[in-house]
Amino acid sequence: MKTPEYDETHLVEKAKAGDEWAIASIVEQQSHHIYNLALRLMQNQEDAEDVLQETFLIFIDKIQTFKGASSIGTWLYRIGTNVALGKLRAKDYIDRDISIHDPGFESLKGYEIRNWPDHPENELDPESFHSCLKKALKELSEDYRIVFVLRDLEGVSTNKTAEILNISVSNVKVRLMRARLFLRDQLAKKLKCVEKN
Amino acid sequence: MTVHHHNKDLLEKLQKQFGKDIDAEILEDVSRHMKECPDCKIYVDSVQQTVKIYRVTETEKLVPEDVSERLFKTLKLHRNPS
Repeated sequence: MKTPEYDETHLVEKAKAGDEWAIASIVEQQSHHIYNLALRLMQNQEDAEDVLQETFLIFIDKIQTFKGASSIGTWLYRIGTNVALGKLRAKDYIDRDISIHDPGFESLKGYEIRNWPDHPENELDPESFHSCLKKALKELSEDYRIVFVLRDLEGVSTNKTAEILNISVSNVKVRLMRARLFLRDQLAKKLKCVEKN
Repeated sequence: MTVHHHNKDLLEKLQKQFGKDIDAEILEDVSRHMKECPDCKIYVDSVQQTVKIYRVTETEKLVPEDVSERLFKTLKLHRNPS
């Protein structure tokens, strides 16, 4: 049974009343979720730390407006995503409308994959394999990466991703497919199971 | 023959499939085609496996201690004793 001090509703009520212990507890409990989300979205530690700090500054500033319609984690997740989005948008990466008929799409699926291994992770030493995955994700442009992170790594639904990014559902799907193909092609090249460009 | 030589209808169907909004009729079309087309089977398997690999390897990391320290300092909060 949870003690009253660790019950989320109780913690949130205390935080809303300005209780520093409760606020610090929520920051302690939730910071690793936001940090991981930020790392995946921003792909560098410095920007991820900025997102983390800004998210919790907003949390402290706005906690009194929290209605409890979702969990505090979901609320913070949304704040964190918006902070990261703001930073990515400032770099003008996010808001392009993309069609599956866009000529650029063709270049992302120009590889024929042959002999795709049953267990690609066993084809390279673990360090090289992990480094290849990280490099490919970093090279994926932000407007695709953010969709891949939200949909495939964070498990956010297609509709919710569209809502968060303020793009259409079909654009979420196009971006997700492109992102997956790009990552697959990068991995295939590393595994040398690509026939031609 | 490369995957992009396959018709765009199929790609759009696969896109819908990956979006998890699976229509039974589309799924049947795709499944039927996949049985007959090794290129498409490798295409779908390799993309699905790539996603799976990322899900497995992108595990959550702990916030480094120095990052936590700076966070609490920025927020002007004291850390609770654990």
